[in-house]
Amino acid sequence: MHFAPLPYLDPGSGSFLIQLAIAALLGLGVAIRASWGTIKKWFGIKSKPEEDDDDSENE
Amino acid sequence: MTTQKTNSGQAKQSRGQLAASFRDPSGFLFSRGGVLYRQVNRAYEQEYARLMESGLYEKLVKAGLLIPHVEVEQAPAPERTSGLRESESALKIIQPERVPFISYPYEWSFGELKSAALATLSIQKRALKLGMSLKDASAYNIQFVRGKATLIDTLSFENYKEGEPWVAYRQFCQHFLAPLALMALKDVRLSQLLRVYIDGVPLDLASEILPTKTRLNFGLLTHIHLHAGAQKKYSGEEVKSRSGSTFGKQAMTGLIENLEATIQKLDWTPRGTEWGNYYDITNYSDAAFEHKKQLVAEWTKRLQPTLAWDLGANNGVFSRVVSSACPYVVSFDIDPAAVEQNYRQVKNDKTENLLPLLLDLTNPTPAIGWANRERDSFGARGPADMVLALAVIHHLAISNNVPLPQLADFFAETGKWLVIEFVPKPDSQVQKLLVSRKDIFPNYTREGFEAAFKARFTIREAVEIRESERVLYLMESH
Repeated sequence: MHFAPLPYLDPGSGSFLIQLAIAALLGLGVAIRASWGTIKKWFGIKSKPEEDDDDSENE
Repeated sequence: MTTQKTNSGQAKQSRGQLAASFRDPSGFLFSRGGVLYRQVNRAYEQEYARLMESGLYEKLVKAGLLIPHVEVEQAPAPERTSGLRESESALKIIQPERVPFISYPYEWSFGELKSAALATLSIQKRALKLGMSLKDASAYNIQFVRGKATLIDTLSFENYKEGEPWVAYRQFCQHFLAPLALMALKDVRLSQLLRVYIDGVPLDLASEILPTKTRLNFGLLTHIHLHAGAQKKYSGEEVKSRSGSTFGKQAMTGLIENLEATIQKLDWTPRGTEWGNYYDITNYSDAAFEHKKQLVAEWTKRLQPTLAWDLGANNGVFSRVVSSACPYVVSFDIDPAAVEQNYRQVKNDKTENLLPLLLDLTNPTPAIGWANRERDSFGARGPADMVLALAVIHHLAISNNVPLPQLADFFAETGKWLVIEFVPKPDSQVQKLLVSRKDIFPNYTREGFEAAFKARFTIREAVEIRESERVLYLMESH
């Protein structure tokens, strides 16, 4: 149970608003990337094997 | 408030709590009997349980992304007299693995800061998958452990609330994205801004300095330029955070992935800085070089140091001679290109006991932060068992005019054992330093050097290096 309702860090109002402003674009980007394999198939382009997040090197 | 130092030299408040650990109500670090503990407060009970039980802790530790800890039976830290709140009573005490050498973002090369940034994002991605999120994204939460950028703040996780933007976004942009962009696209030396701005580079400053063409890059445009604009415009305005679909999980994932892609594309390849090709142009014959390596190897084996510092290490060739027989070596150099080369090799070889860092010996890292105690100075993080000072003395004594007795004092405080190379005036490197100045160094001779250092050290060995005018010394401070 949090003892305080405010976040630990001051996120800054501007920072909040920027995220909201680009939210749609970012979500779109994710959606496109998720269907990229399908889109490529439509154009007959072979897709490379997807990288697995969990295996990616701690670079 | 009195301060004492723990073995690792971290400044403490009088009740044993670390001077750098005071902002988070979830808990704090304290030292007892020379051991570092973290108190987890009741306020953090739910999150801690989730971290441990959801599998997130295991996953992150396994990937080398989070410092492992054990839960211990220890009495809580004595209660703070000021700001005491009911919910701050201790839930449990954990003992994190000790970091061999604490370093700070303004001491890191470009590559190290980039690794730290990508590690932070990688941690956030994994946390989100298990319903948690980082509540801060400070570069000071990352340390290098076993050659990898690792999160040391175990209590940095909060429960993820779908619909809310990332609370740590501003901090991430200031601590990581802005300095990396400045280093890669303007000048690598701008990492030093992190020393002045303790909460990361202000975005409006970064936006002003970055070349205009960066506005054509979506990531830099939004996360730096527009972000800076929004900060200015809405500063002081209240934003009511509403849960809902205004910033759903897909947007959050998109944000993290975009930050990642933007950072991945930033690159700085060392070239053209003074020391970049040092070993190709110095005046060592192969025999001299090999002789020096041989001596360093022999003396390291003899002394069996636990911690060694290589000052003026360049790309770490001699650090590596030491690290094959010493548990931990820190490799310091003034040149970002050399440190970067060194770090790239560390990554390539997967070396776990070598840490390359940026350091100007004539102006070493000071203590900064609240009460000038949050982040330790260079000296406070010592002393080392063994210090290497190869091919540096002429730069300090001649280029920087430091008298030999003061150099002896400095080295005596830095480590117990000193391996130091005396570079005499006839040496071509010294001649280069004297070419455009008056020779005001009558005492800079082998005799003068030995006399000055004998005041603080006992000279155990003095070997003339084959095919060179230089002499390598092994000294023990007394």
